[in-house]
Amino acid sequence: MATELEYDRSLHGKEHTAGPFEVTSKMIQQVNGSLGESNPAFTSESAAQEQGFRGMVAPPTLCSIFVREVALPDVGVTFGRTQMHAGQRVQPIAPVYAGDQLTASSHLKDVYAKTGRSGIMVFVVWETTFRNQHGDVVAEVQESFARRE
Amino acid sequence: MPYFDDIELGDEIGPVETVATDDGVASFCEIWNAPQPNRFTDLQAATDSGMPGLIVPGIMAMAMMGQLLTDWAGPNAIRDLDVVFRQPIPHNSPLTLTATVTDLRRDDGENLIECDILMTGVNGERYVGGKAVVALDSRS
Repeated sequence: MATELEYDRSLHGKEHTAGPFEVTSKMIQQVNGSLGESNPAFTSESAAQEQGFRGMVAPPTLCSIFVREVALPDVGVTFGRTQMHAGQRVQPIAPVYAGDQLTASSHLKDVYAKTGRSGIMVFVVWETTFRNQHGDVVAEVQESFARRE
Repeated sequence: MPYFDDIELGDEIGPVETVATDDGVASFCEIWNAPQPNRFTDLQAATDSGMPGLIVPGIMAMAMMGQLLTDWAGPNAIRDLDVVFRQPIPHNSPLTLTATVTDLRRDDGENLIECDILMTGVNGERYVGGKAVVALDSRS
């Protein structure tokens, strides 16, 4: 795009936090049920411990579920009329266990325009860091939204 | 679990066939308190937002791709899962999940494989693309 993108640049560098959220074994079991998950580390505490984990492990994408709990401000992108969920990225760093208390910290990572087959799209990318009750980072999650005319 | 030593460029993980049922999607949405009504469980909300029918949430599609990789390499193997949503994913329709190895490397003492991931439909629809990095043990 020839003109500079219009959005709220004051959001850069601001952190938006939420939590703690408890990861319950019931939640993990419900995820398992909805996906037909049968990996013993995700379905059984004793099987997980036999594999060297300290408890029942949450599937590695589970943190994504909590991103919605962070109240993110409007980025104020003036371009486009419709918005879609364009992508999601998870970088698991340490296992998340049933009983963990997670906190989330999100910031605006990037806003950029890209020209594709269907025309210009503007992408808004949020990055969320999840920590457990020990302060250890367990995952980084990125969500991107695409706006088009 | 596969060993790093046995993996070659171009190797395929899967294909795994799966279906996102109405019940599965409803259960998944319940976990993350999806706003109601939504395009995932309410047909009117789906058609109002221009969807051909009920669709599968992006984070559920991501979880399905994650499952493909953890079934293959173990519960703690994924280092990066970067999913691109290309088109709406329908309920109750066969979905084929695959990953294709595109790079093999050692990094920070880990054996890493990088792969392209894909979720396709019965008529060649490419619902989900993207990349993943998975760590594997070596035989030695």
